[in-house]
Amino acid sequence: MASATSTPTPIPMLKPMPSALTFELIARCSTTKARAANLTLPHGPVQLPLFMPVATQASLKGLTPHQLEATGCRLCLNNTYHLGLKPGQEVLKAVGGAHKLQGWKHNILTDSGGFQMVSLLKLANITEEGVRFLSPHDGTPMLLTPEHSIDLQNTIGSDIIMQLDDVVITTSPDAARMREAMHRSIRWLDRCITAHANPTTQNLFCIIQGGLDLEMRAECCKEMVARDTPGIAIGGLSGGEAKDDYCRVVNTCTGLLPEMKPRYVMGIGYPEDLVVSVALGADMFDCVWPTRTARFGNAITAHGLLNIRHARYANDFGPVEEGCGCMCCRKKEDGGLGITKAFVHHLASKETVGAHLLTIHNVWYQLALMTSMREAIIEDRFPAFIKKFFDDYHGADKTKYPDWAIKALKMTQIRFENTSIRTPKRYQNSNPARKTLPIAYCHDHMIEEA
Amino acid sequence: MSISTTVQRSKELKELVFDIIKHADAALSSARIGKLSVAGRKDLETPNFFSLSSRGAVPHLTPDVISAHTQFGGVYMALEDFIERAGNATPPIMNCPGPFPLHTFAALPPSLITLLAPRRTPAVTAAVGNSNNAISIFTSNGFQTLSNKAYINYAEKLHPDIAVALADIPHGSVPGTKRVTKMADRTQGWLTELLSGRKEGKPAIFAPILSIDFLDQSEYINELADEFADDIDGLAFYDSNLLPDIPETTALSRLPKLSLDEPSSPRHILRQISLGMDLFTIPFVGFATDAGIALDFQFPRPSQEEGIVSKGTGSAPLPLGIDMWSTSHSTSLTPLSIGCPCYACRSHHRAFIQHLLSAKEMLGWALIQIHNYTTMSTFFHSIRESIRNKTFESDCEEFARAYESELPEKSGQGPRVRGYNFKSEGPVEQKKNKAPWLPLGGDDQVAQSVVPSDELAGKLEEMGVTEQADQ
Repeated sequence: MASATSTPTPIPMLKPMPSALTFELIARCSTTKARAANLTLPHGPVQLPLFMPVATQASLKGLTPHQLEATGCRLCLNNTYHLGLKPGQEVLKAVGGAHKLQGWKHNILTDSGGFQMVSLLKLANITEEGVRFLSPHDGTPMLLTPEHSIDLQNTIGSDIIMQLDDVVITTSPDAARMREAMHRSIRWLDRCITAHANPTTQNLFCIIQGGLDLEMRAECCKEMVARDTPGIAIGGLSGGEAKDDYCRVVNTCTGLLPEMKPRYVMGIGYPEDLVVSVALGADMFDCVWPTRTARFGNAITAHGLLNIRHARYANDFGPVEEGCGCMCCRKKEDGGLGITKAFVHHLASKETVGAHLLTIHNVWYQLALMTSMREAIIEDRFPAFIKKFFDDYHGADKTKYPDWAIKALKMTQIRFENTSIRTPKRYQNSNPARKTLPIAYCHDHMIEEA
Repeated sequence: MSISTTVQRSKELKELVFDIIKHADAALSSARIGKLSVAGRKDLETPNFFSLSSRGAVPHLTPDVISAHTQFGGVYMALEDFIERAGNATPPIMNCPGPFPLHTFAALPPSLITLLAPRRTPAVTAAVGNSNNAISIFTSNGFQTLSNKAYINYAEKLHPDIAVALADIPHGSVPGTKRVTKMADRTQGWLTELLSGRKEGKPAIFAPILSIDFLDQSEYINELADEFADDIDGLAFYDSNLLPDIPETTALSRLPKLSLDEPSSPRHILRQISLGMDLFTIPFVGFATDAGIALDFQFPRPSQEEGIVSKGTGSAPLPLGIDMWSTSHSTSLTPLSIGCPCYACRSHHRAFIQHLLSAKEMLGWALIQIHNYTTMSTFFHSIRESIRNKTFESDCEEFARAYESELPEKSGQGPRVRGYNFKSEGPVEQKKNKAPWLPLGGDDQVAQSVVPSDELAGKLEEMGVTEQADQ
């Protein structure tokens, strides 16, 4: 087995890779790099740009598949790492895959389990062959290799599967380790491609690594694009890096990626991040934040995050968000449930039904945000959309616009009037311990209660 | 004015009408079929049950799931779930707009009947007893007192379809002889106060029957029969054993009878129905769901498919539920109950539900709750059919032969226990919830030392990622 070196990986002589998807570019924003596309997957079409809610353990936090479908979701995420532990590969094989396990008729994307190495496992040991770690359930030793990961994802039967990558936290100062991880991810991609048993029914996506070093990212893009996977992910981000750095990486990568393939930025889900990332040319996103924050009693709205547990909502008999089209917010006369903030406040952190209701609302909000971006791109009014979005999100107070977003949007030729870039305070970490906390708590790493 | 026109008139004025449709064979049983009609709600055929709510929500089920996947006709609401702020402000539910604040606040489907009672069932034992004009209640902020005046005000403003009058019930403790004499007096006084202040017969009132000997409350019950019978709309039994003692006057026997007696098994329900009970609240449905037990019984006998499956076990009585924690279900693609029409059984299988419980995913309990409520609805439907066919008594005997008498013991854990409905028992109490994740070994363990060695790695690779080695 090749040892970890920083020499460039030779591109192997690969036969053209089959693909189980079709990608149809519908529209391009004339100002930004945003695009609208149709992606047809084995379990039906989805429209890009797209947000994918995370059903970590084959269930979206208390919602029935029927309820998830009603939010408009047609592609959700499962975590390979979690499904590998519970119910385990044998059960998945016997049941016939994750679709059958959870009664979900639409598409599923599974990650490779690589991210959990960073987020969950302090005691992981990464070598060229794979990742050795202790089961978080009972402490027994386990080994995850690219072959195992793909085998497991083949058994899961997800429509999009991810390569196993070597993830190093982006803020790591160790450039040599970062380079090693990037090259190892390329070598592991080759092993994943070789191991992939169902290329005509499952789409393997590669994952661009390289930390915050743009040259390393460019090198990784070049190598991985040459391997011609059906889709491409930008990985290793949302691990606590400054948003400026994040935007530079996404912008660099999307500039180097082929136009006719879907681009998936892993672990992104804050509304502002989604809008900026779409402007930077990314198509697909996932994040546990919308569903997790729902269980903490927070509602995402066009006017920012509302902590419904706050006493000010105890007597608020309006919907969670005025004008929202979700099942909870719509009035009874319009076929909705007529849920009020007061009722959610009454239930929050006392009955799980409160969490379920906010989960429905938050997933709906995220999907509706993506749909409205898509419409704006198709009608070529995306820059106006972005301005309206930031205006609403910050209560028309331009001084509250985050600097990183202003800078990133400048890269895409969007300028806000009357804004100036200040010394970034919001993302300055005075406390060094905070640096290890992810900005977006991006992957579900334990079973949490509402 | 003749008696019949008085009855007719009071019926028109009442929000709630109860018609007795059919009696079982009177010589054998007091079981009966009735119809409960509330203006604006779906009619409810009895015998039937109300689901229990916690803080206005049926546990695990959002209102859209209730509409789409359950058939129960009403919801029991405990006032103590809504008034934790009563001490220093108006409870928010009292500010809820609309003609039916209780319904609107809880976003209940309009077809469901609401039943308001002062306390949850089962209720937490109060630290201090009740007084002459108030009872102790347990809110999410701790114990409070609820006066009869306040309860009357709440019942009037919240506009439930039915309110159970305040009763002096010593939940959880055995009343002494002095207390027993007071219980009936207090309850009678509170009921008098409630009825005299009621406007236009709203809401419908169920008079409580106390959980003490008939003789100790005979004066109160006779008063109900003689004075209150036309003003009250039903009876709420805290002890179903009192049913045979209720005077058989026309005015009382036409009233719907609600059980707040916490039946522990289907057999108890059947017994109460044969004594003449019409409506139930059934805490064991929720207990079974939280324990991961899928109810699995049909009245009076298992369906044919199940009969075939169970042949192997001979004539031993069948269990009333299936423990879904058991790993024996982990690859089973069969529904919870064969032939069950519920959403969980139509759309999912045992393997998924077992996985969800084991992964502690909230959907697991939601699906079992849907199934368990459907099982109860089917059970009551079959009971009504049986009474209609005049086979109820023999069907009960057959049911007793076919099934075990009590629900199976729980083996798995429930969802996280929430503090506000479980009173602390004392200073050295064990944690209610086990920590789901613990550090491996001690804190001082060195990371490298527990990572498997190189030699082991090869072996592990052969075993695959999901295999776990004993070390």
